[in-house]
Amino acid sequence: MDRKEADKERRRIKSTEPMRDLMLKYYTEAKAAEGTEKLIAWITSGAPVEPLICFDVIPVYPENHGAMCGAAKMNVELCEVAEAQGFSRDLCSYARGDIGSALTKGGPIGGLPRPDFLVCCNNICNTVFKWYEELSRFFGVPLFIYDTPFVRGELPQHIADYSLRQLEEYIGFLEMTTGKHYDEARFLDVAAKSFYSTELWREILECNEHKPAPMTCFDAFILMAPIVTLRGTQEVVDFYQGLLEEMKSRVEQGIGILPSEKHRLLWDNIPIWYEMRNLGRIFMELETCLVADTYTSAWTYEEVDMEKPMASMANKYAEVYLNINLERMADKQAALAERFQVDGMVLHSNRSCKPYSLGQYDLAREFTRRTGLPTLIIEADHTDSRWFNRAETENRIRDFVETLLA
Amino acid sequence: MEARRMLEDCLELWRNPYPRLARLREEGERPVAFFCSYTPEEILHAAGLVPVRLMGAVRSITHADAHLQAYCCSLARTDLDMALAGELDFLEGAVFVQTCDTMQRLSDIWRRNTGYPFHADLVLPVRMGEEISLPFLQEEVRRFRRSVEGHLGGAIEDDALRQSIRVYNHGRSLVEKLYALRAERHGLIDGLSAMACVVAGFWMKKEDHNRLLQELLESLEGTAPKDDRRVPLVVSGSVCTTPDLLELLLELGANVVEDDLCCGHRYYEGLVDEGVAPEEALARRMWSRVNCPAKHQCLEDRASRLMERVEESGAKGVLFYLQSFCEPHLFDIPYLRKRLLEEREIPSLVLESELQSFSRGQLRTRLQAFLEIIA
Repeated sequence: MDRKEADKERRRIKSTEPMRDLMLKYYTEAKAAEGTEKLIAWITSGAPVEPLICFDVIPVYPENHGAMCGAAKMNVELCEVAEAQGFSRDLCSYARGDIGSALTKGGPIGGLPRPDFLVCCNNICNTVFKWYEELSRFFGVPLFIYDTPFVRGELPQHIADYSLRQLEEYIGFLEMTTGKHYDEARFLDVAAKSFYSTELWREILECNEHKPAPMTCFDAFILMAPIVTLRGTQEVVDFYQGLLEEMKSRVEQGIGILPSEKHRLLWDNIPIWYEMRNLGRIFMELETCLVADTYTSAWTYEEVDMEKPMASMANKYAEVYLNINLERMADKQAALAERFQVDGMVLHSNRSCKPYSLGQYDLAREFTRRTGLPTLIIEADHTDSRWFNRAETENRIRDFVETLLA
Repeated sequence: MEARRMLEDCLELWRNPYPRLARLREEGERPVAFFCSYTPEEILHAAGLVPVRLMGAVRSITHADAHLQAYCCSLARTDLDMALAGELDFLEGAVFVQTCDTMQRLSDIWRRNTGYPFHADLVLPVRMGEEISLPFLQEEVRRFRRSVEGHLGGAIEDDALRQSIRVYNHGRSLVEKLYALRAERHGLIDGLSAMACVVAGFWMKKEDHNRLLQELLESLEGTAPKDDRRVPLVVSGSVCTTPDLLELLLELGANVVEDDLCCGHRYYEGLVDEGVAPEEALARRMWSRVNCPAKHQCLEDRASRLMERVEESGAKGVLFYLQSFCEPHLFDIPYLRKRLLEEREIPSLVLESELQSFSRGQLRTRLQAFLEIIA
C-alpha cells in the first residue's frame, strides 16, 4: 500500500461497516417478516418509534428508503411511475418515489415489505399525512396520525397536553392492533435506550467541534440511519457506543476526515442524496469540511426527564427543528456556527421540502447578520435529480469557497 | 338596486378588490387581512375590525422573490409581493391561520418583513373532527381572541361576539339560500354571477354584504328562469383569484352549477351554534365543517362528498382548479378523479394556474376538448 492509500485507509470511518451490517440485517428481517405473524408498520422519520419497538412491531421508513433510492439514483424512475398515475411533479419526491415503489416493488432492495398499519407524525411536514392517506388507501390498512401543531416560541401547554393525549392514544391503538397489553417496564426500558442513543449521537456529532473534524456531515447523513430507524433498541446503543469511541480516538489522534481542512461550513436541509459522492469530492478538493448541519441533529434531545418519560417524549417530538418558527431556527443555526466554529453556511433549497426551505432566504440573511458569515444557497431536490443543475452548482460552490477567508 | 347592476358591481370587485379595500380605510374602517377560510372572523368583527380576504393577484413578482422560492404557491408569493411593494398599506394587520406548510412559514416571513401594527397566528390541528383535537382547537381560539384583545387594548365582550356570530350566520344562510335557489331553478342565475356575489363578501363589511345578498335574493325570486342548455359542471379546488375561468366557461357554453372551493361553498357551509359559549361554538364549526384537503378527516370523506355534490347538482363533469405547488390539493387529485370516473362515470379535468393566470388560448382549447367529451 502506498502512502496515499495508507492515509486514506487511516482516515476512513471504520464504523461504517458495522452500520451497513446493522442496516442490512434490519432490512433483511423486515422483508422476511412480510406475510408472517410479525407486524410491520410504516412510519415517518420524525414520529415516535419507541412505542413500536415496545410492542415488537417492525418499523419501516419510507423516507429512509427514499434516501436509499435517491443515493442509488433510482428514485427518478420510481417518481415517473407515480407521475403516470396522476401525481404531480410538484409533490415531494420521497412521496412520489415511495408510491412508485409500492406500485412496482422497484428500487435497490425490491421495495419495502407491505405494512400492517401506518404511523404518521406531521412534526416534519404536512406532506406526510397526505402521503400516508394515499398509502392507507393503497394498502387498505389503518393509519394513526400523531398530530403536532406548529410551535412558535416556547412550547405552549395546550400543545403539550394535546401531544401527550395522542401519545397515550397511540399506545391504545397499538394495544388494539397488536392484541398485546402495554408493558410499562418495557416502555421505560425502550425510552431509556432511545434517549441514551440520542445522547450518544449528540456526543458523536460534537466530536466535530475538533479541528480537523473527524467526519463530515455527509458521513453523519449515512451514519444516522440507525438512530432514525431503530432508536430504542440495544443494538443501536451498542453501535453508537462503538462509533463514539472511534470518533473520540480520531480526535485524540488528530485524524481528520479530509486530507486537509482549510474551511469549515454548516449545511442546512436534507442531503441531495443522488449527489453526495460528487459534492463530497468537490468539498474535499476545496479543502472544505461540512462539519455540522441542522438535519442530523434533529435526532438529539437535551434535558430529558426520565421521571416523566411519556410527557418528556411528547414534548421532544412536538419541538423538532422543522416544527418551530424561523427565529428559533435562526437561534439554532447561529448556535451551531458558534459551537462548530464554521466559516459560512451552505443552504440546500429543497424543492421537495417546503417547511425546511421556505424561509431559508430570510434565515440566510439573519445568519449573516448574527454571525457576520457568508452563505450560499443551492437549488435542488433531495431525490429528484431532474431539478438539479450540476455544473452550475459546482461553479457556485467553487466561487463561494474562494470568497472564504483563508 | 336591480339584480343586473348588483352582479356587475360584484364582478368588478372580484376583478380588482384592492381599490375598494383602500377606500374602506379612507372611510375610517380598520381592515385586517386573512387568507384562510378557517379564520374566526367573528372575533375580528366583534373587535370592530373589518376582515378582508387576500386571494392573490395577477402580477409579476418584484419583491417577494427575495423571500420565497419559485416553488412556493403563487397565492403566498403575490400576496407577500403586494405587501412588500407597499400596496396593502391600508391594512391594520394580518391573521395567519396555519392550514399548510406554506402558511406556517409565510406568517414568520410576513411578520419579519412588513410593519403592520397587528399580526396574529392561529394553529389548526390536522385531526379535524376527532374528539382528541377539540380541546386544543378551543384553546387556540381563546388565544386568538386574547391576541386580538391585546392589540385593541381592551376586552371583546361576549355580547359583541354573539352579535357578530349572528351577522356571520345570517350571511351563511343567505348564501345557502342563493345556492338552493340556483339548484331549484336552473337558468335563474349563472355560475359566474353566483360566485361573484359570494366572493364579493370578502371585500366589504359583512352587514353590507348581507344586505346585498338579501336584495339579490328578493329580486331573483321575482324573476323567471331562462332556458339553460349549457353544460353543467362542478368546480373543485381552493380559490379563484379572478373570474376568468368562470367567464370563459360561459363563453364556451358551460356553466358552473356547484362548487367545492374554499372561496365558495366550503367557506359558507355550516353555522356557528348560537346556543353555546361563543369560543367553543366557533371552534366547533371549524372542527366539524367540510374540511380543507390540508386537514385530515376521514379518508373516504372528500370523494364521497364530491360525488354527492355532482349528483345533486346534475353536473356532467368536474373541473379541478388548482394552484401550482399546492401539495394538499395535488395529493388528492388521482384518487378523486379515479373514483369519480369509476363509480359515477364523471369525467374531470385538472387545471393548474401559476401566478393566477393561464395562457387563455391553451385553456380554451383544453376546455373545449373536455366539453366535447362530455357532450
